[in-house]
Amino acid sequence: MFYDHVLASLLANNKQWAADVQKAEPAFFEQCTQGQAPKVLWIGCADSRVPESVVTASRPGDIFVHRNIANQFHPDDDSALAVLTYAVEHLGVTHVVIVGHTHCGGAAACHAAAQAPADPAASGTPLARWLAPLTALAREGKLGVAELVEENVKAQVRNVVRSAVMRGAWEKGRDVWVHGWVYEIGEGTLRDLGVSVGRGEAEA
Amino acid sequence: MLNDHILAQLLAQNKHWAAEVEKNDPGFFKQSSIAQHPKVLWIGCADSRVPESVLTASIPGAIFTHRNIANQCHLNDDNILSVLEYAVGTVGVRHIIIVGHTHCGGVAHAWATAHDKVPHEHFANWGDHIPRMLSPETPLSRWLEPLTEVARAKPELSVEELGVANVHAQVMNVTRSKAVQQAWTEGHDLWIHGWEYHLGTGRLQDLHLTAGRETFEGPSAIV
Repeated sequence: MFYDHVLASLLANNKQWAADVQKAEPAFFEQCTQGQAPKVLWIGCADSRVPESVVTASRPGDIFVHRNIANQFHPDDDSALAVLTYAVEHLGVTHVVIVGHTHCGGAAACHAAAQAPADPAASGTPLARWLAPLTALAREGKLGVAELVEENVKAQVRNVVRSAVMRGAWEKGRDVWVHGWVYEIGEGTLRDLGVSVGRGEAEA
Repeated sequence: MLNDHILAQLLAQNKHWAAEVEKNDPGFFKQSSIAQHPKVLWIGCADSRVPESVLTASIPGAIFTHRNIANQCHLNDDNILSVLEYAVGTVGVRHIIIVGHTHCGGVAHAWATAHDKVPHEHFANWGDHIPRMLSPETPLSRWLEPLTEVARAKPELSVEELGVANVHAQVMNVTRSKAVQQAWTEGHDLWIHGWEYHLGTGRLQDLHLTAGRETFEGPSAIV
């Protein structure tokens, strides 16, 4: 049987956590099996330093989550679209939050790539294709890395706002919002960029 | 209403958490900003009830994380392929864990679509969250099509058995990815695992589907 201390540690931690929760709140897990009703969808980065439920001290059941490289929402990406559809139409979340973060490896890579002329030969891997829009954003705006992190979040907010899922929800009169935040890794704090869009403010 | 109590509460909880961490472990955030060195990539479900770092009591920096509907790894999906490429090639994780869970809505929807019915007795333990058959040609139905195909091919599987078969299939997909095959060709010590999270008990279960370099029989990457 396979053994590795990293995995053994995760499983042992989980066993302790489950026992602690069971003792402190005996009905919690049973309640979880009845369904989920999160009010928030978090679209964030896969970066290990930004686990949404830890940094917001949230409980299982609070936040529906999609995490990918550099917190992207590409308009033609079935993975993110499926998450948004399920969250908004099936679960009825009221807030979609795009969360970028400082010290983002994806943003740094795009910033570096933007300093050099566009190289078609370098776009052959999934990662290069995935980061192409972000690299283009860096190149167009001649942005520094910190600015790029913020402009990236704003661009993803725009992408979500323009999606058929959001437009459909707003047409039906749903009171659902899209927001852009940045997590400061060096401080541990979340910052609202103040670019929220709701039903009344969505573009025609 | 803009910034209703839900978001204000999350931000307040974050502020409190950050202060507590800095108090108990001064310099933690400054250290975090230097680099990340997670050993594990978690490929799990977007389900709000399965937050990897809470279930495993892990601190920020421990687990590189990708979460989507029904913990899929489609080999034509740049979203997950870029995660694999970055996690394996740049971050250098040693373990990739695909984590499925009981009471998965995505699995239930795929099952319902394949069986063309939503029999309540099959979802007796699902509370009031009864899945529905999906209308075809939407991003969600396209996303769940591979899983729906597995349900069609194995109609004898119950919803929860389909969930476990799903984890098995995704482990196979990850082993076939170019990122993993390349790492194994280069001799890296990289392991792929399949786990199941049991909502009713809060417990993670190793399904013993582990694949490593020794199970690699030669270049056979699809993408």
